[in-house]
Amino acid sequence: MTDWTIISLGNRFRGDDAVGPYVVDRLRAKPGEPPACIENGGDMPQLVEDWRHRQVILVDALQSDRHEPGSLLCLDGLKETIPPSLCMTSSHGLNLGEALELSRLLDALPEKLTVYAVCGREFSTGAPISPAVRAAAEKLVQKILIQIATEAGPHARAIPDQRSGHKNP
Amino acid sequence: MTRSKTIKVDYLARVEGEGALYVRYDDGGVHDVKLKIFEPPRFFEAFLRGRDFTEAPDITARICGICPVAYQMSALHAMEDALGLQPSPQLRALRRLMYCGEWIESHVLHIYMLHAPDFLGYHSAVEMARDHPQVVKAGLEIKKAGNTIVALLGGREVHPINVRIGGFYRVPTYKQLLSLRDQLLKGRAQAEDMVRWAASLPHPKFERDDCERYEFVALTHPDEYPMNEGRITSTHGLDISAREYDCHFQEEQVPYTNALQSRIRERGAYLVGPMARYNLNYSRLSPLARQVAEEVGFPPFCANPFQSIVVRSIEVLHAFDEAIGIIDRYRAPDAPYLTTTPRAATGFAATEAPRGLLYHRYSLDEQGKISDARIVPPTSQNQKTIEDDLRLMLPKLLHLPPEQLQARCEQAIRNYDPCISCATHFLKVDLQRSGRALP
Repeated sequence: MTDWTIISLGNRFRGDDAVGPYVVDRLRAKPGEPPACIENGGDMPQLVEDWRHRQVILVDALQSDRHEPGSLLCLDGLKETIPPSLCMTSSHGLNLGEALELSRLLDALPEKLTVYAVCGREFSTGAPISPAVRAAAEKLVQKILIQIATEAGPHARAIPDQRSGHKNP
Repeated sequence: MTRSKTIKVDYLARVEGEGALYVRYDDGGVHDVKLKIFEPPRFFEAFLRGRDFTEAPDITARICGICPVAYQMSALHAMEDALGLQPSPQLRALRRLMYCGEWIESHVLHIYMLHAPDFLGYHSAVEMARDHPQVVKAGLEIKKAGNTIVALLGGREVHPINVRIGGFYRVPTYKQLLSLRDQLLKGRAQAEDMVRWAASLPHPKFERDDCERYEFVALTHPDEYPMNEGRITSTHGLDISAREYDCHFQEEQVPYTNALQSRIRERGAYLVGPMARYNLNYSRLSPLARQVAEEVGFPPFCANPFQSIVVRSIEVLHAFDEAIGIIDRYRAPDAPYLTTTPRAATGFAATEAPRGLLYHRYSLDEQGKISDARIVPPTSQNQKTIEDDLRLMLPKLLHLPPEQLQARCEQAIRNYDPCISCATHFLKVDLQRSGRALP
């Protein structure tokens, strides 16, 4: 079992915005015990709770005209500046940068935070994930599996997560 | 010469232009107010056609990351209406407990993270947390108690997966419910303080004249503060079942938005949400909720939308009280769900989402496939009322500097806690005067 918790942001029904939940689904479907996964639909105060004192890999979509769809950005969320396009203010409060700042103020920062942002182009409601973003997501799944395998750390433990379960029979 | 001014507040949904506030005014008054809100339910209505009736609760839960339980509950009740199912009182109590959890989560999120900064002069909850970390910490802690309820009953906190037509896939044991009790007792005490704190905030004064007064619309139930069941009633005498909803309410296409605006056929705009519930159901609040409301001098009828933050706080207190009572009285149901077979029928339901009345209607064929779906969320029902509020309040505020005026517009919109988050991720504000952008 890994120390890492995978958190997705994004809306499953809005085209490339679904890349985060898609990656989480793919990780859960892998053989063996899946990593702890949390699908956060955009409740950023909840994100403060989700990542509090955990080692977190965050996956989100990014709308950017400067990158081709399917481009993958990776950054250390605790050391690097979050790109403005990942800081879109939700009508329900906080953006990612603000969630980090709030966590800092409330002593709720994650222990580690790797942010993977997959660049998308199509964010309309009802649109499917574009082929380029889907392909990038598959590569990202492998990347995450390698990361959590190689950076499990000495304190690997099961992380209780009531939201990682599958549908009851 | 009269100078025309424009306030434009764009809610952008990663796809620009799906929602915006536009206000045109000059020294002579306010001439135009247009609120555009994108409505994800329109997509889901089409998406549901051809799906199995059992899928509706889980699919509609995806409409909103903040209030999935509300969508599930309206879907469940509408399907059960179509299929002639009547869950046992024990199952009903568990659903009500789950709804309490969502009210707590959703209301507290709005109170502390969105609305309170408006009253205290901060741009955001983060700014507020720098000066008042204990306030924000308390808010997150209270919210967490709501999350815990939803996680236990729903299987997870976001997009719960444990509810099904006729009941639940699994029901909790008494011991599991009892494990929530201490957290809920603490939450209830914190909620009492929250009501006192919310009542002490500086609420802008705004009340409509008699000729413009609100028509408050909410469920009412003879025995309880409404959540899952009741008749649709209003302060103007409406008293109907959910089956009659389409006869009395209509949705209109307005040219400036792809969203539909709801109105009561005979009278026009109306208001749903905490204020409507409170005004129509004050006597059914828990004794503790009423006691604390009285203690802070908050009246049984509230017509100032800027005081909706107090009403939400009182509803949170009520939800804690209600949740504790449900746990104390809990007896596990004989079966976690009722079985059913599909049939061709149409079902109707309205439940009280945190933001207000949420109407669902489904038609099923003989195989239980959904042939038609209609979902009317609270935000689209309040859309016209929000526009009217702005139109009525702005004439007295035109002396304010542009930044303050804009902030007051946003605060007025937030009075209704519009559920835009499902579709929108960022808020861009653009204030113009005489066609020239202001700094």
